[in-house]
Amino acid sequence: MKKIAGFEFELTRNITIGQYVPTGSIIHRMDPRIKLASFTLLVISMAVCATYGGNLLALVLSCLLFYVSRIPISYGLSGVKPAIPFILILAILQLLFYSEVASGGKVLLNYGFIHITTDSIRLVVVSALRFVEIIFLSSVLTLSTSTTQITHGIESLLRPLRTVKFPVHEFALIITIALRFVPTFALEMEKMMKAQASRGAEFGTGAWWRIVQRTKDVFPIIIPLFNVAMSRAEDLVLAMESRCYVPGSQRSVSKKYKAYRTDYAALIFCIVFAIVLLAFPFPY
Amino acid sequence: MEKGLTTRKIVTAGVLGAIAILLGVTRLGFIPVPTAAGNATIMHVPAIIGGVMQGPFVGLVIGLIFGVSSFLDATIPLFKDPLVAIVPRLFIGVTAYLAYRSLKGVNEITAIGVAGFIGAITNTLLVLLIAVIRGYIAPGVAVTIALTNGIPEAIVSVIITLAIVVAWKKLDHGTNKKSKISGEL
Repeated sequence: MKKIAGFEFELTRNITIGQYVPTGSIIHRMDPRIKLASFTLLVISMAVCATYGGNLLALVLSCLLFYVSRIPISYGLSGVKPAIPFILILAILQLLFYSEVASGGKVLLNYGFIHITTDSIRLVVVSALRFVEIIFLSSVLTLSTSTTQITHGIESLLRPLRTVKFPVHEFALIITIALRFVPTFALEMEKMMKAQASRGAEFGTGAWWRIVQRTKDVFPIIIPLFNVAMSRAEDLVLAMESRCYVPGSQRSVSKKYKAYRTDYAALIFCIVFAIVLLAFPFPY
Repeated sequence: MEKGLTTRKIVTAGVLGAIAILLGVTRLGFIPVPTAAGNATIMHVPAIIGGVMQGPFVGLVIGLIFGVSSFLDATIPLFKDPLVAIVPRLFIGVTAYLAYRSLKGVNEITAIGVAGFIGAITNTLLVLLIAVIRGYIAPGVAVTIALTNGIPEAIVSVIITLAIVVAWKKLDHGTNKKSKISGEL
């Protein structure tokens, strides 16, 4: 069971945050504010929609988005692939044990404690479809929008919340800091893991059923990581304060976004699509 | 604690949010417990620590970052539903803060430990509650998950929260009394 897995130390390789596929398509060029708003609308409507017809329609749309943004659909599929075993296990559990809640519909099989109804089948199929749709949709969003654009988009979309004293700019700054520090901490963690492994620490070598052992293995990494993070935070606070950063004061932005007619058309399309998903009486 | 957002609060929230994302994408934040809901997690610990150290708003924002990153990164259909992935996570830091503040007068170290426990329990219970309401898992399965995932999560969360917050606050916990984990490591 001793296996030294070299790839486990290459943490930075697994990080896909900030991954961006520049194809310059119409979706890439969309105003980030409008793109985020449309994305939110679509995700909410897909999460609520529970009909076969609606979910098929949503699946078609999310595949089309890959075509329009000229991003290879393999990026989306690579997100779905690791999930297939989970989807199958969950589907079986839902089928077997869900009779108490989804008891409506026609009973198809009734054997001992197993009741399979048309409603429980619908539940299984719809949650699998919903999963694929949302993975596709979120891949298109993150692959076609840079992190800076996303934070700018969030900041300007949340601007109305200022009237209720919500600190919008500070919130956007928090997100920027978080995204900025992920690769830094990944490097830091890699260093710590290598340092400890070279002194004989074992990571991920315990058998999978020894849960306590494997959990304890993580402590010598997690706790120094938090400490490093806190001291980095102190440095950053000092740096910001010595440059006279004052939370809550007025400041201007260096980049202005402008929405064009195509952006509004896309937004209207998404609104209509969301309404259709939620309100249209699909026969199935 | 000072009122309003200070630079320190902003930076702490950002940095702990980064850890929450990192624990998710590197899979280091998972404890391999084989159940239907997948692995137990320690990704909620940054939210608890943020809540205890810098107040409810910071805890809430870190919870939000954790929720959104787990939503975008999910490999389990359950967490591809924003209602399950994001909404329950908002409360982790807030309840941890409330637990900490109400017990702080009694004993600071106990208060930190209890906050770690309450935060983890908040995450487990709210996620499972919404998952049952939304129809992803049956109530019976949810109880099993609460036991198999929730308890290890809560224990680990208490240990990590104590180790980090006590060290950061430089609390004096007696010269002959060792920290709870020093014997283990």
